[in-house]
Amino acid sequence: MASNITTSQTVGPFPHEAWAWAVSASATLHSSAPTITISGILRDGDGVPISDGWIEAWMPDAAAAETAQQIPGFRRVATNDNGAFRIEVSLPSPACSGKPVLFATVFARGLVKHQFSAVFLEDDSGLAQSEILSQVPADRRPTLIARKQGDARYHWDIWMQGEQETVFFDYV
Amino acid sequence: MRFESAEPGVYPSLIYPPYISTVKRGPTREPLRIRAAEPVQANISASPSLILPHDTDLTRHGQGEPLGEKIVVTGRVLDEDGKPVRNSLLEVWQCNSAGRYWHKRDQHDAPLDPNFFGFGKMLTDDDGRYRFVTIKPGPYPWGNHHKAWRPAHIHFSLFGSVYAQRLVTQMYFPSDPLFDYDPIFQSIPDLAARQRLIARFSLEQTVDDQMLGYEFDIVLRGRDATPMGL
Repeated sequence: MASNITTSQTVGPFPHEAWAWAVSASATLHSSAPTITISGILRDGDGVPISDGWIEAWMPDAAAAETAQQIPGFRRVATNDNGAFRIEVSLPSPACSGKPVLFATVFARGLVKHQFSAVFLEDDSGLAQSEILSQVPADRRPTLIARKQGDARYHWDIWMQGEQETVFFDYV
Repeated sequence: MRFESAEPGVYPSLIYPPYISTVKRGPTREPLRIRAAEPVQANISASPSLILPHDTDLTRHGQGEPLGEKIVVTGRVLDEDGKPVRNSLLEVWQCNSAGRYWHKRDQHDAPLDPNFFGFGKMLTDDDGRYRFVTIKPGPYPWGNHHKAWRPAHIHFSLFGSVYAQRLVTQMYFPSDPLFDYDPIFQSIPDLAARQRLIARFSLEQTVDDQMLGYEFDIVLRGRDATPMGL
């Protein structure tokens, strides 16, 4: 049976006013769990920062720690003029080791379909047993790993193309 | 919920040279199909309190009536089995009747309308239906190529019942002469999939002498949905 699904189209360069409410709702974090930040730069095939992109983060395992949050476990951020983004994350419990610390969705002008990805922390002791990472070719796994930069700070760049092209998913 | 592969041609070509911005931004590799428990079990929970009184009437955001043709847009959000997607967050945004967005980077030489900002949000009802009142957006030039004008469109953002159903798309209006010349619309290879993005004029939804009605049904990917409450 044909699915007749509705296909996607780009967000274009101008969703900012319409999307701002959710940015505001997730800008200040109220969490009962320890928090970290993941920051990075969204880059195109030439390495040029994408200044009109958007990242959404979905953290189902952290939502329980964010019951005081207007939208628990969800963040929406725009990239700035330098293509940079920054996401504050509630750390899920140790039982979630090996799972992504967040699922990411990337939107931008010129991206006719949004792209799903996921981020893992490099110091997560469960990476070798990760159900998701084990499905990713070994040479591409580093694109999904946020590198520790200091106390509670991690760095994760998104590359739309090139040798470091980030792994994007289609879920079964 | 199951997510089958979309049929070839249904999704737009991620790199489609006539739409210049895709050339350096579209991923070059096929998306990796994986199993992941979380995306099929959970989704953001948008509290009804986040929906403000005028979010479904975009003509009531200023001090007076916006300029242009007032319309009502409604439709149902369904999964691939035709089941309604209930209590699900939907956002819309668009330019005004003169073809200009309320956005600092939009420098199109067309007037801003102080009574129209062009964005709204809502939750689908128990039947999966959404409905909002707005102004018909105008076409506008966008500099992609010589005489590049976008067909009139409204941007839609949907969250579905689970994360993997997330969709951002655009709704177009019937009989637009610009379809054949628009590389964003044409980036979708499949003719039937393109046509599913065109709303249907509806006399039934037309409200007396106040506004014309359009129907636009949306099918999110995923089968065997378990309806989720808030």
